[in-house]
Amino acid sequence: MAGSKTVLFVEDDKPISEMYARALTRAGYKVDFAYNGDEALRILSTEQYDLILLDIMMPGKTGIEVLQSLRGPDGKGAAKTKIIILTNLAQKKASLEALKAQADGYIIKADIVPSQLVEVVGKLI
Amino acid sequence: MKHSQFKRRTFGLFFVVALLPSLVMAAAWYSASQLTADGMGIAVVIVLMVFGLSTAVIFSFIFASLLARPVRRIHQAALQLAGDKNNPANTSTKPQGELEETIYALKRASEHLEQKVSETSSEMALIEAERNKLRSVLNSMSDGVFALDDDGRIVLFNHAASVLTGRSVGAVAGQLAEKVLPFRRNGELVMTRWLASQLGTDNKRGSWKGLELYRADGTSLFVDVQAMVLKDDPNGIRALVTFHDLTSEHKLEEMKVDFVALAAHELRTPITEIRGYLDIMQHEPIGLRPVGRDLVERTVASVAQLSGLINNILGVSRIEHGEMNYQPELINWHDFLKEIEPQLVERARQSDRKLSFKVSTKLPLVMVDPIGMKEVMMNLINNAIDHTESGTGKIEVTSKLVDHEIETSVVDNGTGIPGEAVQHLFTKFFRYEGLKSTRGTGLGLYICKSIVEEHGGYIWVETKLGQGSNFTFRLPTKTKLAGQRPTSDTSNVTRGIHGWIKNSSLRRGR
Repeated sequence: MAGSKTVLFVEDDKPISEMYARALTRAGYKVDFAYNGDEALRILSTEQYDLILLDIMMPGKTGIEVLQSLRGPDGKGAAKTKIIILTNLAQKKASLEALKAQADGYIIKADIVPSQLVEVVGKLI
Repeated sequence: MKHSQFKRRTFGLFFVVALLPSLVMAAAWYSASQLTADGMGIAVVIVLMVFGLSTAVIFSFIFASLLARPVRRIHQAALQLAGDKNNPANTSTKPQGELEETIYALKRASEHLEQKVSETSSEMALIEAERNKLRSVLNSMSDGVFALDDDGRIVLFNHAASVLTGRSVGAVAGQLAEKVLPFRRNGELVMTRWLASQLGTDNKRGSWKGLELYRADGTSLFVDVQAMVLKDDPNGIRALVTFHDLTSEHKLEEMKVDFVALAAHELRTPITEIRGYLDIMQHEPIGLRPVGRDLVERTVASVAQLSGLINNILGVSRIEHGEMNYQPELINWHDFLKEIEPQLVERARQSDRKLSFKVSTKLPLVMVDPIGMKEVMMNLINNAIDHTESGTGKIEVTSKLVDHEIETSVVDNGTGIPGEAVQHLFTKFFRYEGLKSTRGTGLGLYICKSIVEEHGGYIWVETKLGQGSNFTFRLPTKTKLAGQRPTSDTSNVTRGIHGWIKNSSLRRGR
């Protein structure tokens, strides 16, 4: 079982993150929320997570910027954290940017239902 | 030889003229001999008279002949001019003698000429009128028209062509069409290339939609172009090209696609939530009774259809903006179809249609984008579901190797498609109103065609009204996309229907 695995859900659209989090929580993960990029970075400066689910289009810092600062030289100690971009941006450009910034995955929200997300997360952590 | 009246008369005249002096001389001699009472007088007079007579005859004959010859020629020529040849006897008023005949013939010849001249000038007026008519038709057309000679130089250029391209006739006449009128699609001179490939053929027609043409002022037009190749044209015209300005329609179309794409994008979030919560209802033990489960299942099917439509709208927007972003990989087509089979069978089952797969196991690897290909299969299956009856609808997917290409068919036993609709099937927003079912956006087949063609393949349909349709596409085992190397970084990721996951990120020991 997932046991004490932890997930940080970074998403400005609350109903969406709550929906996915419901399925993740039921599967045994501990889920925390951040509603914008700056908040996510603030939380991550003190907390460690096994996985971050990261939206791209958010007010303030974009998900890609958060990813770059997490994976950058001053990596905020998130090296062991898996990061998955969870977005509705289907453009190749964004996907390649995420890959370059060392995301572990790139998932289109509209194409994945909660039970499938639980399955994918289970393969990563 | 015809008896010559002119010669006879001339002879008579000369004879008289030549005889008179000899008579006068003879008379003078006679008078002189009377005065001298010389007995030799009479004899000399007789000799003189005989000499004079014979000289007169000979000279008259010679002069008459000399004069008659050219007159006879004039006479003959006049007859010929008059169109009577040697037979003036045909005419009603019979002229007497050559001269009269000649005059008469000349008169008729002049009448003839007058008639000919008036006929010719009225013909010329007719030709001129026709030419003006053609010119005004050509110049009053709203479509641009131009003609090319063997070297591809412009030899005809109508008014609309001049207005549309912003170039005067003088500026383009004799110029190479590809230089002054380059019709391009994605930068390629598609029409010129086609014309060059049709060298020596006759009556071939080509047509292109939405080509770009730069005007003299640097702005661009979107045009539909039609070209016809001619062979052995007496006027040296090798190709005739017409083009129709679609710039405003094109802009409108772009706005339509952009607007619809924006709306579709906004719809994605609530639909994601609906799908998500339905999924939670199906997976959490929330105490649903069987009837509730059935209702949820039906809702799931409808939402799946709705998100399919939205994906199509966004897909068209991506196609229109050249952002198809395919990421081809070498896949086993049999395994690919087997992988998507359960989902498609389930989709058909929810709509009460029977879907079966018959896939050859002996298929070579093919370089395709699996997400794009899944979209093609989904659209073809959805299309088949929409055009078959619930309960009796049967759909069969077959795939086999034909001529080094992988051929995949989706065959249904549905309503079939009427002939007049077939040619429009693969165009954007086309829906045949005569059919009972008019579900969908009319985008599915357009997307299928775009995706298949982007992979270097082609798609077609065979259909019989009342009996069903067979949509088939072929993928070359060496595709256009195969030439592209997959983005180096993406080679170590696993791509699924909803995105990608880095292989190295997967948990070990699973």
